[in-house]
This record gives sequence, structure tokens and C-alpha cells, in this order.
Amino acid sequence: MIRLRDLTVGTRVGLTLVGLTVVIAVLAPWLAPYDPIATDADNALAGSSWSHWLGTDQYGRDVLSRTIEGGRFALLVSLVATTAAVVVGTLIGAIAAYYGRWVDAATTRVLDAVLAVPAVLALLLIVSVFGNSLWVLVLAISVVYVPAVARVVRGATRPVLSTGYVTAARARGERSLPIIRREVLPNILDTILVEFAMRASWVVLLVSTLSFLGFGVNPPTPDWGLMIQENRTALTVAPAGTLAPIVTLSLLVVGLNLAADGLGKYLGVDRARRGVI
Amino acid sequence: MTTSTVAAVRGLRVSYDAGDQRVTVAEDIDFELTRGRTLGLVGESGSGKSTVARTLLGHLRDGSRIDAGTVTVFEDDVFALAPAPLRQLRGGTVALVAQNAGHALTPSMRIGAQLRETLDAHGLPSGDDRLIELLDLVRLPSPDALIDRYPHELSGGQQQRVAIAMAVSTDPKILVLDEPTTALDVITQAAVLALVNELRERLGMAVLIVSHDLGVVSAVADDVLVMRLGREVEHGPTQEVLNRPREEYTRQLIAAAPRVHGVDIIGREDPDADVVVRCRDVDIRYPRAPRLAVSGFDVEILRGETVAVVGESGSGKSTVASALAGLADVERGEAALWSSDGTRHDLLGAAARRPVDVRRSVQLIFQNADLALNPRRTVGDAIARPLKVFGRASRAETPAVVDRLLTEVGLGPEFARRVPAQLSGGQRQRVGIARALAAEPTLLIADEITTALDVSVQAEVLALLDHLRESRGLSCLFISHDLAVVRSVADRIVVMKDGRIVESAPTAVLFEEPRHPYTRSLLEAVIEPGHTELPGSDADHRTTTLDPDAPLIDIGNGHRVRDDEGALTTR
Repeated sequence: MIRLRDLTVGTRVGLTLVGLTVVIAVLAPWLAPYDPIATDADNALAGSSWSHWLGTDQYGRDVLSRTIEGGRFALLVSLVATTAAVVVGTLIGAIAAYYGRWVDAATTRVLDAVLAVPAVLALLLIVSVFGNSLWVLVLAISVVYVPAVARVVRGATRPVLSTGYVTAARARGERSLPIIRREVLPNILDTILVEFAMRASWVVLLVSTLSFLGFGVNPPTPDWGLMIQENRTALTVAPAGTLAPIVTLSLLVVGLNLAADGLGKYLGVDRARRGVI
Repeated sequence: MTTSTVAAVRGLRVSYDAGDQRVTVAEDIDFELTRGRTLGLVGESGSGKSTVARTLLGHLRDGSRIDAGTVTVFEDDVFALAPAPLRQLRGGTVALVAQNAGHALTPSMRIGAQLRETLDAHGLPSGDDRLIELLDLVRLPSPDALIDRYPHELSGGQQQRVAIAMAVSTDPKILVLDEPTTALDVITQAAVLALVNELRERLGMAVLIVSHDLGVVSAVADDVLVMRLGREVEHGPTQEVLNRPREEYTRQLIAAAPRVHGVDIIGREDPDADVVVRCRDVDIRYPRAPRLAVSGFDVEILRGETVAVVGESGSGKSTVASALAGLADVERGEAALWSSDGTRHDLLGAAARRPVDVRRSVQLIFQNADLALNPRRTVGDAIARPLKVFGRASRAETPAVVDRLLTEVGLGPEFARRVPAQLSGGQRQRVGIARALAAEPTLLIADEITTALDVSVQAEVLALLDHLRESRGLSCLFISHDLAVVRSVADRIVVMKDGRIVESAPTAVLFEEPRHPYTRSLLEAVIEPGHTELPGSDADHRTTTLDPDAPLIDIGNGHRVRDDEGALTTR
């Protein structure tokens, strides 16, 4: 599989950033020094001190604790939604490419139609109709991103279909799904992995955007997008409340991009030719 | 250095970075190029011949460098030149013609504009009259119309002629040709080589031709340098090297080259053998194509017999293979397969709709061994798959059967755990054969299986196939563009052109008495080692046209010829 020392510095930095964010989010309840939703009116908008490293917000809630806990929702939604979008998109893309002709033409038309709708607009619509529960968000984001994934996978599948091993499997009379699973998927796995990392970074931003606009999590739950929205009015008084979630969000997105980029190069450059399965 | 010497390579060593170590691609290479003479660089893939040839243009692959030696063109050390003189040298003094003109020409530029670009870059007059003169020089028909065409509107041979015209447009002193005819069919190849000879004489250039094909080199080169693994094996006048090779490796290369003449044809015809496959009047059309890909295809294959289908690209020969394997739809006609117990199975319709036994009985081996095996699966896995799909072995028996098959194709059981990237081209092709054998087929369809292989490897693979056919009583449909390859393996040959059969006969008869003009021109165009005669440089314009209504006529002896003009009357 992937050997860490073969990766470029950028890739390692990216993977570390992502890994760190995920670990912190998972361990947040134990790491956070204060209860992130406990208010303390006497200590509102305090600067950084030994008791509150990043100060407090307008309700006196500890910014550090909120920042540590604030990634949980976005990460959870991103992980589940991206996985769903990539799995479904891969299936649709591979099947469209495999059957070709009218199946392909029809699928592509539908995907194009969905792609034409702006992502944020579609999400706002869905959330305002069905509410903002976790599963609605996951479903909405998957629907928005499935077409993009499907198109990429369809493009990657086509050259594989003309190879001898696929032809041999067809001549053996194997069915489409075993052919796609055994012969096609292992050879486009690099594309799919990169697609996953790339989409994940977009989805993180999208979820935060929704929270910022007030369509994501409900206050007082800590969330980076929501924190930026809540604290930006106090930007001059207690800047840490706005800057901390911005920095963590940026680090995660940069990390995901670096990892996607590096993994793409690492997995894509004729990996199989070097004798690695 | 004498006055006629235009370039000299002395003690050249080139190496490149591969991870932590440096790999030497060429070592101790010495040669001179002389005005009006041609040097042929011959070697198998990986011998470093292209690397050496391109040093004349001051070009090295990324990560490569010259460790020792010099490359001198006239008085200049090529690798010491400043960028500006180096650009003048490239294309000005030394010109290159690459292997695939389809890739060498810019698809979005008209032929005339591309030629003009080269002339302008070297500050030469680039009027229409000069362009037409150049296209005329390379014997392209109606040059004034051609300058307004795009590359895709030209055939492969015409593209290569344009590439040659571009190379000679600056009146270079040295012409470097890197596998110039590998992508062309035999008739066009012969014509292009004749053109190279003619231009060398008329323009007084020194020519360096790189090829894996001893026949090509012997037809055009005055001297030949045989390379192996980056080192010189033998260097001398062509006739001397080919007729009296001093080195064992040269002898092997010459022996492995497929020939049309002087090879015994084994008459294995057994008229009592039962028919395995019979096709009658098969028409094949690709979905929604206006024209039939194959029309009126007839063939009969007996048990243990190899029938070869020969034709140039686009003749429909591979389409026949796909149709029999159930991968292309047959529009009309009948095709049937008889299993050993005498049951008749229909060979029409898609593979997925055929009974298991029929799918198992027909197995394919592919042209491109690189793409024939799934790079992410081990060799053992690839061979085990048909065993599982066709239920030939239980899960417990599978490893043993895979080992036996690998041994049978001349690899060992240790190969089962390797992945395709760890195998050479010849080994991959053997795995492809083992995978086909795993199904225990009745009919093996071999589609251009040796095209991508070096001659010595090709000879081994052909020998293996012949051995298997005998030991297993396999029937084989052997698709090839190369008459010389077919001669040593086929019992009968079917020649195709434009989707139609033009001639079909037992191998010996076809080579001794070719009747159809197309078959004859194919045979004349084959160049083999020791062959110095070339047909005219415009030979590929004398195309044979087929009369769509002409019938195939049986002239006895199992010899059938299409009744086109000149097929039956002249001899």
C-alpha cells in the first residue's frame, strides 16, 4: 500500500493536518478545557489569559473549547456525505461508461442537468424545505456532488474498457458488475481516492458556509462556520473568536488539498508499472 | 576525420537517473556518418539505439547525461553548443523523422502551414511554390491540393512523407530516421524506404536509420551497427554483417527474422480431420456504421489446423476475430462451432448470450501484451479466473492447475505471484496464452499477438503456439498483418482487403502461386534481411481496387481467388 517515506513533503504535511484535525475532533470532549456551551456573563469578550487561552466570546464561552469541538459536525457531515457521493458517483459513472450508447447518453444528460444547478442554491432550497438534520444535509450534499464524481469516473473508466483484460472478461461472458468490480475499479482506484480527498475539502467548506448562513447547526452547538458568523461583530474587541475557526478551517482545507494533490501524483504515476498492486 | 565525414560519435556513454543509482543506456559507442551513405542502427527494444541516434540532435531524455565521449557534427561538439546555434543545428543541419508521423504532425494545422513553420524558423523562403516543390520531392500526389489539408485527412504513409518533406526542407546534411516505417503496412513501408534512398542520393545527405527490423536496414543501409543492451555488438558493411556475421547475437537476430523465402512450409494438411469452425457469407457491421466492416467472409477451420487471416489495418481481419469471440454483432450469414462430440453450436450473437461451453471453446489472445493483463492482479489470479468462471477446477485444485499451465507455457510456478509490471513483453504474452489455455478451448484466436514483440521473442512465442497446437490438438485462427510471420505458422492463409477476402489458399500454394494482384504486391513488398531490392518509391499509390460484385472462384487445390481485374487472366 502507501509507503509514507515515498510521499513528498507537501503530501505528508497535508496528511498530518487532516489527521490532526480528525483526531482532535474525535477526542474533543476530553480535550476541551471548558464546556463549550456553558455561558459566563461576567467573563464575556475577554482577551487571552491563562484560564482562557483564546479568550471568550460575547456570552463568555471559552473560544478554545468551542474551536476544538467546532470541527465535529462539519467533519462528520463531510465524511459521510463525501463517501456517499463518491460511492454512488463511481457506480453511476462506471456503469454509464460500461454500457455506453443510450445508457451513457441518458445518464450524462441527467447529470449535466443536475450539474447546472449551483450547489449552494440547491442546498439552501433542500435545507429550508426539509430542515437541517444531519441526514438531510448528507443526502443533499451527496445529490449535489454525485454528478461531478460520476463524470470523472466515467472518463477514467473508458480507456480501461478498451484493454485486453476487459475484452477477455467480456468474451468469457462475465456480467457487467463483476467486470467493473474486478477489472475496472482496481485500475481507477487512484482517480477515485483523489476525487474523494478533493470533494471532501469542498464539502467541508460547503457545510461551514451553510452554518455561516444559519442553515447548518443550531446555536449554541459549537461549529466553525457558526462561530465565524457569531463572533465577527466582535472582531475588533476579541479577534481570536473569529480568527481561530477561520485558521482551523483553512488548515483543514489546505491539508485536504495538499493530500489530494500529493496522493494523486503518488498513486497516478504508473503505480502499477512499478510493480505495486 | 576525412572530408566526407559529416558527423562522428566517439566513445559515447549515456546514463540516466533511476532512483538512487545511475543506469547506463549506451556505452562505448563509436561511429561516423559519411556524405551520401546510410548507417543502420539495429537492436531490440531497450538496446539504446534511439538514445544514441538522438544525441546527434543534442537531445537527451530528462535525467540523462553524457558521461564520456563526444558527438561532433562537422566541427562542432553538439553538447557544447550554445542554445542559439543548437537550435540552428536541429532541423537545419541535422533533421529528425520520428516513428509515428500521426503524432509528429500537429493535428490542428494544415500541412502547408506546418511546412512553412519549419522554413520560417530557419529563415528560408517559404512561398507556395517551395512547399509544392517539397511535397513533389517526396512523391505525394497533387501537392497543390495537399497543402490545404489537415494531417488526419492523409493516410499513415502520406503523413510519413510529409514528415520527411519537413525534415529535408532545410536541406540538412544529416537525416536521422527513428523507426520511420514501424507504424506502416508493408507496401507503404517499402515505398517510404525507397524514397529515403532516392532522397539521400539526390540531396547528398548522410542518413542514420534506427530500426528493430533487419530487413529494413538491409534494404537501405550501407553500413550497420548492431546494438544490444547499450553496447555495440557488431559494426561493418551491411552485406558483410548480414552474410557473414561474426557475433552469435547477430546470428540469432538474423535467424529469428521472419522470412517469406527459403523457409520450409510444413504440409500438415490432414483432410480427414473434422471441421471445428465454419463461417458462411458473414457480414459484420459496427453499430450504425454506414458501411459493412466485413462482407461475405467464408472460412473453414479443421481440428488442429491454423488458419491465418492476413491484411493491412482496416481490412476487417480483427473484426472477424471479435465476431467469432462474440464481441461484434454479425449482421448476416452463419458461423458454427463443432465440439469434439460432434454437437453443433451457433457462433453468432453476443458472448453473454452464448452457452458456457461455447464461450469456453473460443479463447482470445491479444495483440498488446501490456494491456492484455490487469496490472493490479497477479499472474496466478489472471489464470485462475477462467478456471473459476468455467468451473474447470475447484478452489483447492486451482493453484496446482495454474502452476501446471505456467509450466506448460514455459514460465515457472514462481511466476504465479508476480504482477504484470514485473514481466517482459514475451513473458506477458505467455501468460496471455496460459490464460486462454486455462479454459481448455477448441479454437484459439490470436489477434496480432507478436506485433509488439522483438524478433527473437516473437520466434519463441510462435514456436510455443505451434507446440501447444500439436500437443493439445488446438485449432487456431491467427490474425496478422505480416505475411512473413504467417508463413511459419499457418496451414492455410486468407488474404483480406477492405473487409473482403481476396484470396485464400494453403500456405505453400499462396506463396508459390499468388494469383490476386493485391496478394502479389503484398509479397513483393516484404523486405527481409539480405534483401536489397525495393519497389518504386510511389508503389503505394498503385492501389488495387476491388470490384464489389466479383465472386470468389475456386481454382482447385483449395485455392480460391476473387475475380477482380488481373486476378485470373495474368500470371
